[in-house]
Amino acid sequence: MATSTETRFSLDGVGRVSLAVAFVALQALAFAAAYTIGRPTWYAFFMIGSTAVTAYVLRRDSFVVAAATMGSILMVALGLPLFMFVARQQPSIVVEKALSSDVHRMLYLGIYGPLLAAIVSLLFGIPLAHLFSEGFAGQQLVESLVDLPLVVPHSVAGIIILFGFGSGGAFPNVSVLGSMIGMVLAMTFVSAPYAVNATREAFESIDDRLEYASRIHGASRWDTFRRVTAPLAVRGMVTGGVLAWARAVSEFGAVAVVAYSVSFFYPPAGGEVTAQHAPVFVYGTYLQGGLAESGAVAFILLAVSALIFLIIRYLTSGSSTTGGVV
Amino acid sequence: MSLHADVSATFTADGAESFHVDAEIEVERGESLVILGPSGSGKTLLLETVAGFHPHDGPVTLDGERVSDTSPEKRDFGFVFQDYALFPHMTVRENVDFGSRYHDDTRDGEELLAELGVAALTDRYPPTLSGGEQQRVALARALAVRPEVILLDEPLAALDVPTRQSLRDDLADVLADATAVYVTHNRTTARALADRIVIMNDGQVVQSGTPEEIFHRPKSPMVARFTGSNVVDLDDAPSLRSALDVGGDDVVTIRPESVALGDDGDVRGTVERVVREDATNRVTVSIDRTSVEAFAERAPAVGDEVWLTLSENDIHVCRRTAPRA
Repeated sequence: MATSTETRFSLDGVGRVSLAVAFVALQALAFAAAYTIGRPTWYAFFMIGSTAVTAYVLRRDSFVVAAATMGSILMVALGLPLFMFVARQQPSIVVEKALSSDVHRMLYLGIYGPLLAAIVSLLFGIPLAHLFSEGFAGQQLVESLVDLPLVVPHSVAGIIILFGFGSGGAFPNVSVLGSMIGMVLAMTFVSAPYAVNATREAFESIDDRLEYASRIHGASRWDTFRRVTAPLAVRGMVTGGVLAWARAVSEFGAVAVVAYSVSFFYPPAGGEVTAQHAPVFVYGTYLQGGLAESGAVAFILLAVSALIFLIIRYLTSGSSTTGGVV
Repeated sequence: MSLHADVSATFTADGAESFHVDAEIEVERGESLVILGPSGSGKTLLLETVAGFHPHDGPVTLDGERVSDTSPEKRDFGFVFQDYALFPHMTVRENVDFGSRYHDDTRDGEELLAELGVAALTDRYPPTLSGGEQQRVALARALAVRPEVILLDEPLAALDVPTRQSLRDDLADVLADATAVYVTHNRTTARALADRIVIMNDGQVVQSGTPEEIFHRPKSPMVARFTGSNVVDLDDAPSLRSALDVGGDDVVTIRPESVALGDDGDVRGTVERVVREDATNRVTVSIDRTSVEAFAERAPAVGDEVWLTLSENDIHVCRRTAPRA
């Protein structure tokens, strides 16, 4: 590629971080100002314009400016409702809901249930993902089955689970309707593809010769998986688990059909309680209490989910098993 | 320990025609066998098949004991890969000691690393090492388990020239008493390290023998060309045919180092090209409708008329089509 003779800003790592922080701070200030004067639409135009100008100043490349501008339009569509959602919360209602025992149960179930679903997805998804990475006859058929929940409407997924495992289903002694098992099954059904696919990509990225090297120098297949394959794929497994968990947290359709209200052991109460999965609870609150109350519950759920997501990212980002060299 | 393998395996890749490897190799105790062949000839697949990485038909035996049905970890081989295949999540020390828990009799990792000149790297991770350093660590890992046979898959191919030469010297020392199978497409490396050579092409062994036999008495034009000989169809070089006094519908192979250029000789030609190579010049001389390469310390000018003197002992007549080994 020819060397550009145009003057461009060149930023090192620290410079990039500083610029990013400054850009975010500017956006926050601009949104606060626009919201305060009752003109949030102005902020949308400011965000698009400021992104285009920043791209031009940094790169002076019409292609980059066009890409950044187009991308910023999508960011407005995604980000502006979120900013408005946060800004329009009424603190008193948020505090009231944050102190509600119903909300506490909802949060517990909303984290605990998806965690079980993610564990189940990984426990049985990792071996399947490893088989996918090695290849086998009929693989495409099995892959299609694994990916099926991605294209099936989730209320339909719930119906399918009831037909398969509900009354008159394959396991008559297992109660799924309104039970914890049913809820975890519904969540696993919709979140397993994320766990399997992320883990499979991690396995596929490992050079076959690393496994050959392990085998030829004495390790069995089990030891090779334990000492070489799994440590090298652990990031993919964690990513798959987080994606599965996040997908299960947000699941509404399948859970609403299979387990609208769930009885489960709730440690703070020292016994069984009944609660609803978070998205179902938010929907119920919206129907009964309106936008303000459901918004407050959603805000709390969003904050807790984001916090957990950030904690997981923090715990996994610097903990490479290679000492941070790969 | 001697190794004998007579294996047959078919490999398929998405979107590609299947590739069949059907080859027999034999290595005596303490011998270095080099499998030499062009890229895509199946050398690496043969080596990996012998190691047990791929399903195959036919026996692999160690000292007469069949190991074909044995998994790779029980075959007692060491393996050095072209792109090192060091475990990136383990330190150099952990890599070298990887196999120690599976073998009773192992070599001291630190001692091996010191012998190979990389003792200072023990706590480093492979991605932070140069190619030459990584390959020395990979060699140490393979030697640490005291393998009965060490298999090496183009271990020098990814290295720069000075590093390659240095490591080749070290490999020559390491392989001096070892039973080894060494895969390469580099004839210089093959000549430097081999007790015996097999030439592979299209999944099959096309010739096997000592380096002298392979380089000076190739059985086919393919082997001759691949080992660097001139291959001259005498129908295209009548003056050479009369100078050599060779009849029939023959192809002759002549080592370039056996051709002397001068003011007098067996046959006359015109200098077509001169390429400077380290301490010598590679000169291409056209004769009739063909050309012959020779080495000359003093470079003639392109277009000069020169005489070629051919050492009859180094002229080999071979068949036009390749026979099976």
